[in-house]
Amino acid sequence: MAKFGIGQAITRREDQRLLTGAGTYVDDVALPNQTHAAFVRSPHARARIVSIDATNALQLPGVVAVLTGADLQADGIGSMPINPGLKNGAGKDMSAPPYFPLATDEARYVGQAVAVVIAETRDQAEDAAEQVIVEFEELPAITTIEAAAADGAVQLWADAPGNIAAQTQFGDAKACDAAFAGAAHVAKVAFMNQRLVPVSMEPRGTVAEFDTASGRYTMRTSCQNPAGLQKTLAEGILKVPAEKVRVVVGDVGGGFGMKTQLYPEDAVCAYAAKKVGRPVHWRASRSEEFLAGNHGRDQYDEAELALDKDGKILGLRVRIVGNIGAYGSGPGAVIVVAVGPKVITGVYHIPALDLRAKALLTNTNLVGAYRGAGRPEAIYLIERLMDQAAADLKMDPAELRRRNLIQPAAMPYKTLMGEKFDSGNFPHMLDRILELADWKGYEKRRGESKAKGKLRGRAISTFLEWTGVVHEEAVRMEVAADGKVRVYTAMQAMGQGIETSYVQIISETLDIDPDRVEIVQGDSDVAQGIGSMGSRSLYIGGSAMMTASKETIEKGRSLAGDALEASSSDIEYKDGKFTVAGTDVGIDLFDLAGRQPGKRISIDTLQKVDGPSWPNSCHVCEVEIDPETGVVEIVKYTTLDDVGRVINPLIVAGQVHGGIAQAVGQAMLENTRYDPESGQLLTGSLQDYAVPRADDLPDFAQYCDESTPCKINPLGAKGVGELGTVGGTPTVVNAIVDALRPMGIQNLEMPVTPERVWQALRTAKAA
Amino acid sequence: MAGKTTLTIGIEVNGEQVTHAVEPRTSLADFLRDTLGLTGTNLGCEHGVCGACTVEIDGAPARSCITLAVACDGASVRTTEGLADDPVAEELRAAFKAHHALQCGYCTSGMLVTARDIVMRLPEADEARVRVELAGNLCRCTGYMGVVNAIVAVLAARSPHPRQDP
Repeated sequence: MAKFGIGQAITRREDQRLLTGAGTYVDDVALPNQTHAAFVRSPHARARIVSIDATNALQLPGVVAVLTGADLQADGIGSMPINPGLKNGAGKDMSAPPYFPLATDEARYVGQAVAVVIAETRDQAEDAAEQVIVEFEELPAITTIEAAAADGAVQLWADAPGNIAAQTQFGDAKACDAAFAGAAHVAKVAFMNQRLVPVSMEPRGTVAEFDTASGRYTMRTSCQNPAGLQKTLAEGILKVPAEKVRVVVGDVGGGFGMKTQLYPEDAVCAYAAKKVGRPVHWRASRSEEFLAGNHGRDQYDEAELALDKDGKILGLRVRIVGNIGAYGSGPGAVIVVAVGPKVITGVYHIPALDLRAKALLTNTNLVGAYRGAGRPEAIYLIERLMDQAAADLKMDPAELRRRNLIQPAAMPYKTLMGEKFDSGNFPHMLDRILELADWKGYEKRRGESKAKGKLRGRAISTFLEWTGVVHEEAVRMEVAADGKVRVYTAMQAMGQGIETSYVQIISETLDIDPDRVEIVQGDSDVAQGIGSMGSRSLYIGGSAMMTASKETIEKGRSLAGDALEASSSDIEYKDGKFTVAGTDVGIDLFDLAGRQPGKRISIDTLQKVDGPSWPNSCHVCEVEIDPETGVVEIVKYTTLDDVGRVINPLIVAGQVHGGIAQAVGQAMLENTRYDPESGQLLTGSLQDYAVPRADDLPDFAQYCDESTPCKINPLGAKGVGELGTVGGTPTVVNAIVDALRPMGIQNLEMPVTPERVWQALRTAKAA
Repeated sequence: MAGKTTLTIGIEVNGEQVTHAVEPRTSLADFLRDTLGLTGTNLGCEHGVCGACTVEIDGAPARSCITLAVACDGASVRTTEGLADDPVAEELRAAFKAHHALQCGYCTSGMLVTARDIVMRLPEADEARVRVELAGNLCRCTGYMGVVNAIVAVLAARSPHPRQDP
């Protein structure tokens, strides 16, 4: 079976249905008698809702109902929950405006849903939505960090003084001050980490129904964590026991963290399905995705690094201010004040730290999880700072990093953030990437670029990321008499190939043909667990598959002992069969299952891991810049990735490639802009928001290093989904800045567009 | 809006003649998906940018989200379902698998239509040309390398003058 087992680049089991148009995305679901929903959204960044008049809309053909926030309130519908545990600017529990699925008294961002039309067709619902007359009274609004933090700024929520929804402080400010006082050099950076839109190719969508007989809601949606959405919808919104809600998920057309949330529209569809007594179908338009699907990033960051004369780091001072949007629901605040800071010290030994982080409320769409969620911002900060320090000290940036890397002998290593790294051989990784990327041969390539009239720059990043989020996952494995092993899991496929990876682990561990393995997911009725987010599907979920397989063998061994009238200690397992040692008396795993009550062997496994895993990586990027036009081309891109044990190298490469593509998008193309005066979203379509295209990207040379497996899970895998995104952005920007530093340019704000490069060159020339 | 008007169109879809009444504003994509149940065509942006909904109209790739169904009266349309038995599409599907050219699969139907067009129209295309030709189809998962490699591999396999690998 090794041919299909762990470590093999086998092609994906998911591919055939997706290549033939046979996938089932949520909008492909059409329930009998279904209605369609269209939302009426706020055109204002902040406005009091004076009145809503649906008289005209209700008279239009096909309209079944128009529902508003008042209807939801009258029926006791709750608001989107705020995660507990964070403190606001006054040191009290985090507080933010209640985020009802339809706005009640006040709309707080452009695009917030204030009413819904339910009609026979989508077109009819959209027609009628235009005829719902909402009287708004505009209120002063804030869209930027600068405006929210300004003295005398409008206070958006009484219990968030200074518009600070949450804030944290880490490290020891006094010790850090002392480190800076003794420093030979201090390097400084300050920049925005701009707001991004995740842009999964599949927009969000939901088809909800309510069964009167059982009093049960079923919500089909596109998400990464069906069991999580079930609880939020049931307990947080509908105020019913969890078992009264079933969440079903089919194929997911990209998640990227953005689909880890219950959204207001989902909740409204579920509510409306009961209200109108028919299924309700909603498909987000791309415009609605831009307006109201969670955004990512949006931080202003400042940092200082204290170094001794040899380039050894003495201390790190960091100030993070994040714009989390109009509400505190979802992970926006925790990403800014807790998740990002976990990796702020990178792969470096940093003896003193002073970090302060704030999450601010503004009148913009919510910021939530987007591939990396805090870690790209933190690694961008530390890696930009390392390059600034290297430039200040006129030192090779690879050498500066080498002098500060945490040594393998120091593992397990505890950072000043309180995080524990179980494994990692950072100096070895650095040595290898310098070879793989031909670091030494750079001057020759730079000369070749120069001969063509191009400026060449390069950069290296050495970094890690935090994965896991919640450190356990439950799965059920059943060996059935029909010759199948079925695994029921709350982990969710969304393109990351997790189904194939799980089959590889199970078929190798159980020593059976992969065709016998079925992964059952996407249904809160069949599996409860955390779900897929934070690069945990393989690190924890994959470990659960291995453990469940081993436990199945152990249980089978005992049952085989009974069946074969032998001591279980004499039973051997191989090739899907239990045999009595030294004899040819045996029984097939599936035959054994057939002899059990219910004709199956069933195992419930709760896989626990000892904390987060720390995949780490080195990226090297080389760029060529045309000084006449400012156009930047990535001409060489190399990564060496320590994701621990590799289950499928094809899938790992795909994850890294796609991650870098999103990183390049942030570095060079993507920007989400709200007009600071009106609060209107200026980048509300794919014509204004530039997602990388095939001709924007290079080939990537991606390598894995498996010499340092994860030590805190049985599988040895560390997680990979977010790694490329975390490291790609600083590597690209540092390479561009490296090309321009000889002209005195130290920083360029992202996205580094040709116009920004050209302007910077012009300004530098004039100076 | 009141007094809904419909027009009856005759259209060949995946080799079968279909006659149907449609509203003038109905897009070809909605007609294919909602009326004919051909959900293999996916809608990514509904403003003609992302390319997920790309189908063949009279043999050439087109955005079905910004093409009105009534404008296709008398036309021949082929969707991903209609490529099931097409030998070039079959080569592409195999190459897409081998080169990990899809992850979530949402852009894949449109990618395949565009890829088939590149293979048929530009047998000599190199990697750079493939990237330019593919630039009308957005993929948020793969970083495009797998897609480009898959198309280049099919081009190479079909070439009467096999190129030497550099």
